[in-house]
Amino acid sequence: MNRIFWTIRNSLAFKVILSTVILSLGVVWITGSALNSRLSSGIKEVNLNSAVVEARSTIFTSEYRFLLAQGEKDSVVQQVVDDVIASATTLTSNENTREVVFIRSPGNTRPINYEIASNLLDPKSIPTTLSERVRKEKDLVWQYTDMRYLAGGKIAGLAIGQKVQIPNAGQYEMYIVFSLANEKKTLDLINSYLLITGIILLLLIALITWLVVRQVVKPVREAARIATEFTAGDFRKRMKVESQDEISTLGHAFNEMAESLEQQIARLENLSRVQQRFVSDVSHELRTPLTTLRMASEVIHSSKDSFDSTVSRSAELLVAQLDRFERLLEDLLEVSRFDAEVAVLEAVDFDIVQLVHRCAEDLALVAKERKTQIYIKSEEPSVMIKADIRRVERILRNLLANAIDHAEEVQIDVQIVASEHDVAVGVRDYGVGLDENALTRVFDRFWRADPSRARTRGGTGLGLSIALEDARLHNGELEAWGRPGRGAHFVMTLPRKTWEAIDRRLIPLQPEDYKA
Amino acid sequence: MTLVMVVDDDQDLAEMLGIVLTGAGIDVDLVSRGDEVMDVFHNNPPDLVLLDVMLPGLDGIEVCKLIRAESMVPIVMLSAKGDTQDVVKGLEAGADDYMVKPFRHPSELIARIRTRLRRTNADVSGLLTIGDLAIDVQAHQVLRAGKQIQLTRLEFDLLVALAKEPGRVFTRDALLSEVWGYRHSTDTRLVNVHVQRLRSKIEHDAEHPEIVITIRGVGYKAGVMGGS
Repeated sequence: MNRIFWTIRNSLAFKVILSTVILSLGVVWITGSALNSRLSSGIKEVNLNSAVVEARSTIFTSEYRFLLAQGEKDSVVQQVVDDVIASATTLTSNENTREVVFIRSPGNTRPINYEIASNLLDPKSIPTTLSERVRKEKDLVWQYTDMRYLAGGKIAGLAIGQKVQIPNAGQYEMYIVFSLANEKKTLDLINSYLLITGIILLLLIALITWLVVRQVVKPVREAARIATEFTAGDFRKRMKVESQDEISTLGHAFNEMAESLEQQIARLENLSRVQQRFVSDVSHELRTPLTTLRMASEVIHSSKDSFDSTVSRSAELLVAQLDRFERLLEDLLEVSRFDAEVAVLEAVDFDIVQLVHRCAEDLALVAKERKTQIYIKSEEPSVMIKADIRRVERILRNLLANAIDHAEEVQIDVQIVASEHDVAVGVRDYGVGLDENALTRVFDRFWRADPSRARTRGGTGLGLSIALEDARLHNGELEAWGRPGRGAHFVMTLPRKTWEAIDRRLIPLQPEDYKA
Repeated sequence: MTLVMVVDDDQDLAEMLGIVLTGAGIDVDLVSRGDEVMDVFHNNPPDLVLLDVMLPGLDGIEVCKLIRAESMVPIVMLSAKGDTQDVVKGLEAGADDYMVKPFRHPSELIARIRTRLRRTNADVSGLLTIGDLAIDVQAHQVLRAGKQIQLTRLEFDLLVALAKEPGRVFTRDALLSEVWGYRHSTDTRLVNVHVQRLRSKIEHDAEHPEIVITIRGVGYKAGVMGGS
């Protein structure tokens, strides 16, 4: 059943054929009915006319014979009545049966009774309404009725009646009842022919529609198939255009669209390649002199003790600033890789708890300088994930360095929570915090929470925005919470397998220790 | 004295490298074009080659292949691109190690060079067997059925590191520190590429290794069972 609905819903051809057949059924029904009613009324009228003519002549002949029998003996009159019935009645009860009925008019009190019905026809076959009209009218009166026989059986019939005077017996009603079996048979025949014609017509219409629809639908299906392949990435697919009709217009339009799409894609790919190339070239061109500079500065720096204090300090600054310059260059290159969408994920299996500990250890000295400490709390001693360890390490370092920068000599709490599917790391500091404006911009490039604050760590201003991109590259998320003076909370949530999406947040962004 | 051939087209950088290495007591041969490397190499065979990837004449990867075709001398690639593809290509061409410019400290470069020149496994003596291979550590030879298999010094060190404790599973990090002398480096590509290279030389079927076995998600170990 579902399959049928599916077919109806999804096949254009089926829908068109179905609606055409339903509409045609209506049209055939209406024309058939009209034809049927015109034919049957025509046939009935012809039959009625001939029956009335026949009845009139029969009744006229009977009246004439009764007139001639005026004054004769009762036996002679009886003979005349029998003759009249015999001549007006057919002998056999075939389709053209004609019966005669004499009914004594009410009020006729003569002793002799000539009431009779031929061939055992039940006199009740004459409807009382007809009898009443016969008594009132002088001329012929008729009505359709059913002929019922005393022996059983019923035929559709037409009763025509008139008053007659029978000698010595007073007024009678004479009815001639015509069988309409033949007429009914004809009408039934016409009906069945009309029905058969209608059914054949419908079948033919369905067949023709199917042929026509197939002609239209086939190229449409072809177009749909090619469009699907095109979507799947085969941009060289084109429709075959063979004719000169609307379908070919569709084909031309599709092919033009495909052509333009292919060009656009090629252009974008080329743009991306150029960008990638540029990044790579800039990288190379800058890195080589930077290498020389660094080595030279290190050589100078290593013998700074032999210089006087200003030169010695200059050597220190030179080394420090070269460090910073290098970090900035690396960050800029990374950002441009993200922008060019050429950043690649190199996933390996590793223990993120161990990685967090290592990052914290590496930054412990800096933390100590800023009079803060990093505490790590993990539910599990080890959480294996498959991710790009270089990027995850960079996210963690950025979050920890950021927390150290803003910790205000209060401790930093790191929390690691893992589920079957995801892992989350929360970095909570209790320092300066962030206001609402800052929260919306904290991941912006080169944005600084407070421009008046000294930037002692020499951060590039790109750390958090790169961290966010890194997290998203893993199908993960990096979110920030903060209140002025109440510290900040950064939560990174990653799927344990990078190609999956995050199932749910494991650490609430608003820290549990915070009460508004 | 140790001789290092420095191949870099950037004159200033090459000169700077020369100053730093000379300061560390290492002799330096400077070459600026890729297509000149082999001539200098033949005239004055170095103990180690420091090779830039981008070179005029012939690029570093091609040069690396040419050197490998005739010598097992240690090669350290210098790459200005941190891109994986370049690094992997260099390692596959036969480089033992690589450094991405700019290096953090000149001392880091010198430390790497010294690691590559040092005779490792001095503590291991005698003959090791692994699978159907016989390893003569002192003579620096690997024999299969009496026939010698040519390995670079690094490949040899890698094989000895695994073979001297057969059955122990080494993580990639452990191998990096044992063989390359790195402390907590996260770049496991070095290990992966060199294991592949080593397998292609010593395994009967590199697709189904029996000597250096991968332990999924952990690292590698030497096969305990004898080979075919």
